[in-house]
Amino acid sequence: MAEELDYREEHLEGSVNIYLKGELDIYSSEGFKEKLYKTAENTDADLKIHCENLRYIDSTGLGIFVGALKRVKAKNKNIILINLKDNLKKLFIITGLDKVFIIEE
Amino acid sequence: MDNFDAIELKLPLKAEYVSVVRLTASGISNRIGFDIDSIEDIKIAIAEVCNKLITVGNAKEDIKIIFKVFKDKLTVIFDSEDKSLKCIFGGSENEFGLSIINALMDEVDLCSDSYILSISKVIEGKS
Repeated sequence: MAEELDYREEHLEGSVNIYLKGELDIYSSEGFKEKLYKTAENTDADLKIHCENLRYIDSTGLGIFVGALKRVKAKNKNIILINLKDNLKKLFIITGLDKVFIIEE
Repeated sequence: MDNFDAIELKLPLKAEYVSVVRLTASGISNRIGFDIDSIEDIKIAIAEVCNKLITVGNAKEDIKIIFKVFKDKLTVIFDSEDKSLKCIFGGSENEFGLSIINALMDEVDLCSDSYILSISKVIEGKS
């Protein structure tokens, strides 16, 4: 059984919390993209993406985060990435995306 | 040329098998003495090449991945019967993938006559 991505959403006043668990790669990214873009388009709130249980991300996943950011920025909202593991944060630094997203511990 | 052991993986260009490639890469890298951070780097770089191949390839031909294990480095060669797969990162719209590969590997050969591309990483402390 391939490692899949677990996606959970919690809608609060002023923000949407998204909890990711597992591996975000080219295989798991299709379903993820659909859910995240839908939320980004339909909610007028900041998206807080909790990454403490996210073990892997690739360029496909990074691209989806960027796509979602464009959608929320159009409404003057933001995406906040919380508790990214060091090996994943490294990819944000390599690609310069650490300066584009708000990354919090 | 140094002696090396070669481990080959042949598989269809499908997204669901990239995790199999990552696991294999991780097993080999661990076996030959890379530290945990380097193992992560190798896994990610190899997966980025696979992603690109899946995006540009026609999926009819299998992809062959050869892990060449040298005393002090690992070289990973990607090849296919599909000879249209050449210089796949040329004029790339997928910049993230290429930046990641370049940052994580020590040698990157993107255009070769004899295969699609090859990437290498040196094993620290063994050279």
